[in-house]
Amino acid sequence: MPLIGQLALALALVLACYSIVANVIGARAGVPTLITSARHALWAMSAMVTVAVGVMWASLLHSDFSLEYVASYTSYSLPTVYKITALWGGQQGSLMFWTWLLSIFTAIVAFQNRRRNADSAPYALAVLAGLAVFFLYMLNFVTRPFDLLAAIPADGQDLNPLLQNYWMAIHPPSLYTGYVSASVPFAFGAASLITGRTDDSWIRSTRRWAIFSWFFLTLGNLFGARWAYEVLGWGGYWAWDPVENAAFMPWLVMTAYLHSVMIQERKDMLKVWNLVLIGMAFALTLFGTFITRSGVISSVHSFTQSGLGPYFLTFLIAVVVLYTGLLLMRVKSLRTPAEFESYLSREAAFLFNNLILVGIAFAVFWGTLFPVLSEAVRGIKITVGPPFFNKVNAPLALALVFLMGVGPLIAWRRSSLDSLAKTFASPAIFALATGLCTFLAGLRQWYVLTALSLAAFVIGTIVVEFRRGVSARRHLVHETPVVALANLVAKNNRRYGGYIIHVGVVLAFVGIVASSFFRTEVKKSVKEGESFQVGPYDLEYLGIDTTETAHLESSRARVEVRRAGRPIAMMEPAKLFYKQPQQPATAVAIRSTPASDLYVVLAGIDDQTGLVTFQVFLTPLVFWLWAGGFIMAFGTVVAMWPNVRERAAIAAAVRVAVPAGAEPVPGGD
Amino acid sequence: MPPVPRRRVVGAAVLALVSAVAVATPLMVAAAPTVSVEQLTEALTCQCGCGLTVANCNHPNCEFSVPVRDQIDSMVKRGMSGPQVIAFYRTKYGEKILSAPTTQGFNLLAWIMPFAALAAGAALIAITVGRWRGSSPAPAPAPAEGANGASHDPFDAELRRRLERELRDRI
Repeated sequence: MPLIGQLALALALVLACYSIVANVIGARAGVPTLITSARHALWAMSAMVTVAVGVMWASLLHSDFSLEYVASYTSYSLPTVYKITALWGGQQGSLMFWTWLLSIFTAIVAFQNRRRNADSAPYALAVLAGLAVFFLYMLNFVTRPFDLLAAIPADGQDLNPLLQNYWMAIHPPSLYTGYVSASVPFAFGAASLITGRTDDSWIRSTRRWAIFSWFFLTLGNLFGARWAYEVLGWGGYWAWDPVENAAFMPWLVMTAYLHSVMIQERKDMLKVWNLVLIGMAFALTLFGTFITRSGVISSVHSFTQSGLGPYFLTFLIAVVVLYTGLLLMRVKSLRTPAEFESYLSREAAFLFNNLILVGIAFAVFWGTLFPVLSEAVRGIKITVGPPFFNKVNAPLALALVFLMGVGPLIAWRRSSLDSLAKTFASPAIFALATGLCTFLAGLRQWYVLTALSLAAFVIGTIVVEFRRGVSARRHLVHETPVVALANLVAKNNRRYGGYIIHVGVVLAFVGIVASSFFRTEVKKSVKEGESFQVGPYDLEYLGIDTTETAHLESSRARVEVRRAGRPIAMMEPAKLFYKQPQQPATAVAIRSTPASDLYVVLAGIDDQTGLVTFQVFLTPLVFWLWAGGFIMAFGTVVAMWPNVRERAAIAAAVRVAVPAGAEPVPGGD
Repeated sequence: MPPVPRRRVVGAAVLALVSAVAVATPLMVAAAPTVSVEQLTEALTCQCGCGLTVANCNHPNCEFSVPVRDQIDSMVKRGMSGPQVIAFYRTKYGEKILSAPTTQGFNLLAWIMPFAALAAGAALIAITVGRWRGSSPAPAPAPAEGANGASHDPFDAELRRRLERELRDRI
């Protein structure tokens, strides 16, 4: 079996190399059969990588400890679901998983473009195949997933207990999907530079891929934060750890890109900038992998540090240099006469939105790398942690939220002060009143007051926009409010999906601000039957239940939660002890409500005195971070939903030199 | 600025009041905001290898963060100021214990660069926009924004009828 896997990876490498050559020669010499052959090679490559992944999954599920990878990351007693997720629990497996996603996306792109984008698709596919070659080279020659052990162990070493969690089962696949799918718009951007076709067809062709990537980057970050919240047991969800930062930066740049392309689509401006952004987003995904793999910066999330850093760094530099070279080569033809009338316009709002988003990405990048820089210059490795990132990014976040309110309502081209006042009067009043009311309610932190006022402002602008759209439809086509709302969203799903995403961002922002400023922590040692208070809650420790399975031992405390004397919940925080890696872990208990989360950690058990120590966090409004995240995801689905009118527009934009006898295929991606 | 309808003001104020109460109540219930002990533990990096701050170290029985938290608590109770506490740990463990760069010497660069980059970006936008405005043709009359960025400018009756007809066909 392992031989089949290794052979499949070797064949995939050969096919990827062939595809590059065939695509490039076919496109340059105008030989359609060669291009078709290259496409078939990519499908075959995808099939080969799928075979390799299948072999690995079969080996993991059958506990084939003759394979070094299986022995290193699983054990007989590991639950089946984690045997499946062990594919991305270790280095070789996660690289193979990455390659698999890349090969699948490449195969889909090859299929989508078999009859369109005839001039650029071969180059885009060659770029994607080039990326696959790098990863397949690594899997064939540097970090081989199918290496065998000389002596087969009696049992495996098991998966890191921190990775044995539901959120960790879905966090890496989401993040990887986001990372890898960003390579599609990148490849088409590079192809547009190679072919010199500098209109916006590459953006239109890959718009849905870009949103798809953003969607999964959002989910990946969200699931990662939730994993940290549930598993690391410190009551927080984001520590500005280098690996977290590495996942956050592509999300920021991709967000900037999704806004910026609207200007190009609408006004044919910012061509160079959009190509820079997609290049930057893709490079940051590689940078993220470099950070995770290299161990150059210590991280709580680096489970698979290795000597792969130099390979990734070399590849990253090569990609950046080649792409920058292409961009410089075409920069003259990308410059088109731009029309910009006023700073009081949507174009300006989007420009500043880009500035802030890229500014935050730079601040995060800078803070992440500064310890390395400090060590190189001064010989002292310092720490750049949460206080730095919070202080630097806090004002930028406020500016971004403000622009999120302004951007969608301000007119293209230019606005007069009068019309601005008219448009923003209600949201501004709502914002001021919210600030005033929260002040009168007793809040005094200026940042919190400003943040809540701005959040209210954005919600106000979105409500105004929905109300206007609904009343326009009611006036024109005489629909009921509910039908008008449904049709409004359905027929303009990109725009209104975007607004739903903004609602999600604002709710998440409120959750982040509230949970950062107002968390209460109580640490208490109690005996059975004793109670202690946390905010409005009384917690009574009722005792401990101990259980044991072949996989782990668990000591689970029972804590009754009462409010105003009335029992409202039974919480069961636990201490776990995994047998195979001989490692303790904590299972927190969380009672989540829209108002606050009660988060209980079983911190210690003293068998001699009978004292049990609990660490309890009461975090207000953190629920809205997760709710906001899922609203963002829902809004993205709405924005991505196929729209007949838009598909026709895309088909018109990308219709080029269709090969004789072939039918053009309408539709986006 | 045109007068804002009274109904709109009252509506917005009521909505704001409801939202403010909904948001502020849990915040007030959650008791006092960040206390100085928490700020101090947040300013120090745990040395157990967790990579988190002393405040956030996720090892319940950590040999570093647990005693340091208790120590800081007693230092604050003894009347030591925040800078004194930080200086104590810095002397003992060196600069690596600080969870953020200092604002002196080379470290100042850490704080300045993000904002310098932002300022450079803003300047670049200003220069680029200046070029665009210099090269673009004379602006047409400004449209006023409305729903979906549509114009509110007074149309003649025929134009409005045509617009409505086309809109009806499209939506």
